[in-house]
Amino acid sequence: MKRGSIWAWLWVVLGAIYFFLPLYATFDFSLRLKRGVLSFAAYENVFNDARFVESFTFSLQMALWTILVSLILIVPTAYWVHLRLPKVRPFVELITLMPFVIPAVVLTFGFIQVYSKSTTFFGIALPSILSLDFFTLPGLMQVRDFVSSRTPITLAFPIILIAGYTVLSFPYMYRAVDTGLRAMDVRTLTEAAESLGANTPSILWYVIFPNLRAALLSGAFLTIAIVVGEFTLASLLVWPAFGPYIQLIGANRAYEPAALSVISFGLTWATLGLLQLFTRGQQGQIAGAR
Amino acid sequence: MAFLELTHVNKLFTQGHYAVDNFNLSVERGEFVSFLGPSGCGKTTTLRMIAGFETPSSGSIKINGDEITNKPPNQRQIGMVFQSYALFPNMTIAGNIGFGLMIGGKSKDEIKKRVGEMLDLIHLPNYGDRYPYQLSGGQQQRVALARAIAIQPQLLLLDEPLSALDAKIRVELRAEIRRIQRELGITTVYVTHDQEEALSLSDRIVVMNSGKIEQVGTPFEIYNYPTTAFAASFVGQLNLIPITVADAASGNCAFNGISLNTSQPTSLANGSSAKLALRPEEMNFGKVDGRNLLDGTVESITFLGSIVRTRVDIGGFMISVDLFNERKITLPQVGEQVTVNFPAHACWILE
Repeated sequence: MKRGSIWAWLWVVLGAIYFFLPLYATFDFSLRLKRGVLSFAAYENVFNDARFVESFTFSLQMALWTILVSLILIVPTAYWVHLRLPKVRPFVELITLMPFVIPAVVLTFGFIQVYSKSTTFFGIALPSILSLDFFTLPGLMQVRDFVSSRTPITLAFPIILIAGYTVLSFPYMYRAVDTGLRAMDVRTLTEAAESLGANTPSILWYVIFPNLRAALLSGAFLTIAIVVGEFTLASLLVWPAFGPYIQLIGANRAYEPAALSVISFGLTWATLGLLQLFTRGQQGQIAGAR
Repeated sequence: MAFLELTHVNKLFTQGHYAVDNFNLSVERGEFVSFLGPSGCGKTTTLRMIAGFETPSSGSIKINGDEITNKPPNQRQIGMVFQSYALFPNMTIAGNIGFGLMIGGKSKDEIKKRVGEMLDLIHLPNYGDRYPYQLSGGQQQRVALARAIAIQPQLLLLDEPLSALDAKIRVELRAEIRRIQRELGITTVYVTHDQEEALSLSDRIVVMNSGKIEQVGTPFEIYNYPTTAFAASFVGQLNLIPITVADAASGNCAFNGISLNTSQPTSLANGSSAKLALRPEEMNFGKVDGRNLLDGTVESITFLGSIVRTRVDIGGFMISVDLFNERKITLPQVGEQVTVNFPAHACWILE
C-alpha cells in the first residue's frame, strides 16, 4: 500500500468514527429502557403512542401538499425563466435561497404579524387565515369526512403552514428543477413541440414534466425530509406535527427520544436510498439521449 | 401565386444591425429551396421567422395566401427538423412520431396507422417501441423527419439537419430527405452552410450574406453563373486574378502584361482594374492553341481523392488548378515550370 493511500484511509476511518460513534451511542442507549437487558421496548413505546402515528401522518401529509404546491409554483416558473428570461435567472436563484438567509423563526413571526388578525374584505368579515385549515371550509368538510370515514387519515391543509413549508422547500426544489432543465435542451424541445401544434400547458405536461422526473423526485424527497423534521413553523403556529412531537418526547422521556432519533435517521436514509434508486436509471436515459 | 411568399422581411436585432435585411422570396408548391450562407448570414433567422419562433421587425410572410407573420408557431402547420434532432427523450419512437397527431386530437387507431406509415417511409419499421437514446444519430434524425411530416404540414423546414452527423451518414440521409420530399411533394425550405448539400438537394438555392440575399437560382446557375463576388467565392473554389481591362467591348484584359480573352463584354472603362474569376476545374496544364495561357511555377500539390489540387505561382500571384484524378495521371513536380491554359468562355469579369 502506498503512503498516500494509508493517509487517505486514516481520514476515512476518522470521518466514519466521527459520524457513526454518536449514532451508535444513541442506538445503544435506545435499547436500554429495561435495566440490565437490551430490548426494543423504547421502540415499542414509540410505535404504540397514538400521537407518534398521528403527528407523523400529519407531517407526511404536509410534505405531500408542500411538494404539490411547490411543483405547481416552481416548474412553470423555472421553465419560463430558462426559456424566455434567462437574464433574471440569478435573481430568481437568489430569491429561492432566501430561506437559507432568513431563519424560519423570522418567517413565522412575519406570518403571525401579517395573518393573525381577522380582516374585512369589501364589508365581509374574514377570519384570520393563520390557523385556517382549507378542509374546514364549507363544502370541503364533506370531502374531509368522506376520507376520514373510510381511512384513518384526517385530511389537513393548513394554508399558512403549507405556504411556509413551500418557502422552505424552495432552495431544494428550485435547484433540482433548474439542474434538470439544464440537462435538457429546453428551448429546442419546446420549439419542436410548438411546431407540432402543442401549447404551453401541453408542452409542460407531455415534455417538460416527464423529462424532469429524476429532478422532481430528488426535490420531492428532499422536501419530505425537510418538512417531516421541521420544528419551528409547526410549533409556533401550533400544529400537531412530527417535529414538535419529537421535541415533546425529548423533554419528557429518557429512552424514547433516542429511539425516535434512530427512527428518523432510518427514515431519512430510506428516502435517500429511494432517491438514488429512482434517479439512477433516469439519468442514464437522459445521458444516452444527448 | 407562389405558395410561400416572403415580402420585405426585416429582422432588426440590436440597434442598427439587421440580421435579415429586406428579404423577398417566392417559393412554389412542392419546391425544395435551400438557404445557403456562412454562419451569421441570417439564414436560420429567416427560417425561424417562417416557423414562427422569431417575429419579423417588418414585412410579411404568407403561406398559400394566408398571412402568418404574427401567428404563433403552434398554429402554422409547419413541420420543423432541428440540427440537434430534438426528439422527446421520454417518449418512444412511435410516441415521438405520433406526438403532433395526439396533440391534434386524432384517434388512437388513426395515430397508429399513420405512425406505421411514417416508420415504413423512413425505413425503420420495427423501431416504434424503442427510445431515442437507443438509436444512432442518423436514425434519430430520420425519426425527427418522420415526426415533422406526420402532421402533414403545409411546409417542411429543415435547420442544418445533417450538421451533427458524420460524412457517410450525411450523404445517405441527404438522398433520403430528397426521396421523401419528392415522394410527398412537400414544399421544403432547407438551411445549410454546406454548399455540396445545397447544390445536390435543391431546386433553387438562395445564397445569403450578412442578412441579404446575394443570388437566387438553380444549383447550375449559382455554380456556373454567379452574379456576385460573394456567391462566386462562397460556392465552389474560385480563382480571382487581378486584371486591368484592355478592351471593354470584347472583354479583353491584361494580367502582368499578358493578354487574356474573356469573350464577355464589360461595362468597365478601359484601363480600370477588376478581378477575373474562373473555377480551378476549368484550367489545365500545357500549351494549347486558342486558349488563354499563363506561365508559372508549381508551389504545392494536394491529393483530394477524385481531384488533385495544384497551387501555381503566376508571377507572384497564386492560382489553383484542379485536375481530375485517374490512375495514370502524370502530375507535375513541385517547383516545375508549367503553362496553365483555360478557355475564354470559362472566365468572367467581376466588377
